[in-house]
Amino acid sequence: MGRYLLSRLLQLVPVLILVSLIVFAVMRLLPGDPALLMLSGAEGGAITPERLNELREQMGMNEPVLTQYFNFIWGAVQGDLGSSIRFQVPVVELILGRFGSTLELAVAGLLVAIAIGMPLGMLAAARQGGWVDTLCMTLSYVGSSMPVYWLGLLLVLLFSFTLRWLPSAGGGSLEALILPAFTLGLLSAGVLARLIRSSMLEVGTEDYMRTARAKGLYPRMVIIRHGLKNAMIPVLTMMGLQFGALLAGTVVTETVFSRPGLGRLIVDAILSKDYPLVQGAILFLAVVYLLVNLAVDIAYAWLDPRIRYGS
Amino acid sequence: MAALKAGVASVALMASVGSAMAAGDLIIAMPANNEPASLDGHIDPYQSTWLINSLITDPLVILAPDGTYIPGLATEWSVSEDGMTWSFTLREGITFHDGEPFNAEAVRANLERVLAPETASAQLASDIGQIASIETDGETGLTITYDSPWVTLLDALRRAPMWSPAALEAAAPGDMAAILVGTGPFQFVDWTQNDNITLERWDDYAGATAISEEPGPVGLDSVTIRFVGESAVLGQVLATGEANMVYTLPPLFSDQYVDNPDYTLMSRGQAGTGLQMVMNVSSPPLDDIRVRQALLLAKDSAAANDILYDGLYQASDGPLNNIHPCYWDGAAEMYPYDPDRAAALLDDAGWILGDDGMRVAQGVAGVEDGTPLTVRYSTLHHQEIGEVFQAQMRSVGIDLQIEVVPGPVQLDMVQRRDFELMYERQRSPSPLILDQVWNSAYDEPGGWAWTGYADPELDEILNQLRGVFDDAERCDLAVEAQQIIMENALMLPTLSQPIIVGLDASVEGFTMGAEGNWFFLHNTSISE
Repeated sequence: MGRYLLSRLLQLVPVLILVSLIVFAVMRLLPGDPALLMLSGAEGGAITPERLNELREQMGMNEPVLTQYFNFIWGAVQGDLGSSIRFQVPVVELILGRFGSTLELAVAGLLVAIAIGMPLGMLAAARQGGWVDTLCMTLSYVGSSMPVYWLGLLLVLLFSFTLRWLPSAGGGSLEALILPAFTLGLLSAGVLARLIRSSMLEVGTEDYMRTARAKGLYPRMVIIRHGLKNAMIPVLTMMGLQFGALLAGTVVTETVFSRPGLGRLIVDAILSKDYPLVQGAILFLAVVYLLVNLAVDIAYAWLDPRIRYGS
Repeated sequence: MAALKAGVASVALMASVGSAMAAGDLIIAMPANNEPASLDGHIDPYQSTWLINSLITDPLVILAPDGTYIPGLATEWSVSEDGMTWSFTLREGITFHDGEPFNAEAVRANLERVLAPETASAQLASDIGQIASIETDGETGLTITYDSPWVTLLDALRRAPMWSPAALEAAAPGDMAAILVGTGPFQFVDWTQNDNITLERWDDYAGATAISEEPGPVGLDSVTIRFVGESAVLGQVLATGEANMVYTLPPLFSDQYVDNPDYTLMSRGQAGTGLQMVMNVSSPPLDDIRVRQALLLAKDSAAANDILYDGLYQASDGPLNNIHPCYWDGAAEMYPYDPDRAAALLDDAGWILGDDGMRVAQGVAGVEDGTPLTVRYSTLHHQEIGEVFQAQMRSVGIDLQIEVVPGPVQLDMVQRRDFELMYERQRSPSPLILDQVWNSAYDEPGGWAWTGYADPELDEILNQLRGVFDDAERCDLAVEAQQIIMENALMLPTLSQPIIVGLDASVEGFTMGAEGNWFFLHNTSISE
């Protein structure tokens, strides 16, 4: 297991280098000049070419592109992602300051997805072919195909404007987390429900399930003890991938609910061409995403002893 | 000022919603796109930054709600006849939040910081201009000298925050809590980006500026500015009780507050260019004045206002909008809505109607025959206005293509001069904004003159603006400039966006500034 872990961690390195290269290149290929942007957006006031050049010099934009890239990588290895052009504070500080809120939202969304998706999928599997199955699957299709933006506004309309139960904007409190978490979670709930249903149905035909039933165990026991654990393997993979989708979904959700978070930070940074901030934040998210998937792979071993790693 | 009131039963606010509001804690909701990048007005070029700064530190002079300059931290000022030397007398006995004294040396340190290249001031430095020397005379005397007339200094100083030099000395770059140490009614507490800014009352505030009605600290305990990204939500936070005040209420959501005694709406226009679209005159099809004039005649802004905003936006018919002190009213008469005249001009210019009712080139210089008359309408926001124009212009055979561009793309297109109509708004009651947009001297990277139009006569008029003291005389020059701009059809005026502020009944003594993008909380309190 230790060796497997080490080799998996080493495999992350080329992926991260590739991510950093892509982000670095894309930011520089996009139109716009950060120095010009910093000096514009103002309510008038002429910008002289001299001032523009001064600012470019300060931002290190006059260095050769390769030098800029290596500086970025060398810093990143040491945990220094540079300073944000706009905020003038270390990028790491900004990311860590925002990530808590985004993680909170993504985890809450995942919990909502599990709390709704799992029972729905199991119920549909247990009542395969009946009206309950049809209803559960219809719900999950509706859930997974709703645009986040629209769903978020609908929930705000109902629970904030009409019923006045929950706040419509802002972060920082548990109350304010409920609506965004549901907005985000309902989408994944639909996907999870369908997967659990098909996974459970597949497991139901396995030999060990027949054996368990033949032993005279309660049907509920069979489903939970033997069926569910095995059915969870593909579901777990899905959850790893869904967590990535959830992280991506936070961008829109954070915008709709005016929550502070990494998603909005990145969008703003892209619009203002804040190179160091975009590079740093995306690299950070890539690491998080890779680590989540690594954790999922390790969980396999625990769930399914048949999987032999590293041999 | 339109304070709109009437009577309809209101919905009782539920205290359980959101953050429970205590008396004395003012919660202001603002559009998220008003959130500054930095909060240091020495560096940041946004009105919202300067406005928030003005709650933390009083400026030297204040632009009063009636549009006159009144004493802030300076009690009196004068300017020499040649417009090159400004003298100020400063208020005595004022201290910064950190206990440091406010005096002439502190002002000098602040001005020098704004002008220092390493500060990279995006706007204030050019507003204050190239100062030749700053001399102090004791604690309260200050003289600023220029090499050429600089009559617009007060307009720059009213927005220039004064920070404690000692605090600036010790602060790390970007550390707002350490930098924002002012003399104003509120102390900076915290800024959670994309969420809120919190300020609390400074108990040692003197309340000595001309805007304060009473000496001493203000009546509010704290101010929280919340940034709301979704306009539908912004339209509702007053009703749900999540905020006491909404700054820039979307007009479409104003209905529920208009005839409701529990709320007050204040509307204020923003003097400036309005939501103008400048034209690229350096390449076809807009290198032909007849096509440019046809565009002006083929759109009906008033109809767009009714369709989109229930008529709540304001007219803007020229290079300066209709509420600007130097607006030239000849602009509106020059190009009334007249599709027939527009069609005749286009025929004349060689853009003839095709079978599908859209126009194509026939014998137009520099354009291949059969090329459709496509005009891009590139804007950062308010694309809906373009969409209404699109329908209007289709009736005369112009294919108007609406595209929303982010800031970086806008600047890139402008630099390559790859556009037809480009959104460019400036907001100021000063006619100097004409100089920035229309003086060909600023047709350079980072400059604001985008159209590619160069006219020595126009440049000469604009160059004179900075050296003329008398407001009426400056407006005369501005009118001459506007005439040239409109005669040559260099821009497409659309509408002007008013700022609507909504308040609930608990807020008292709130003051709107002379411009829509400014307000004062010096005399504001919240009743139970």
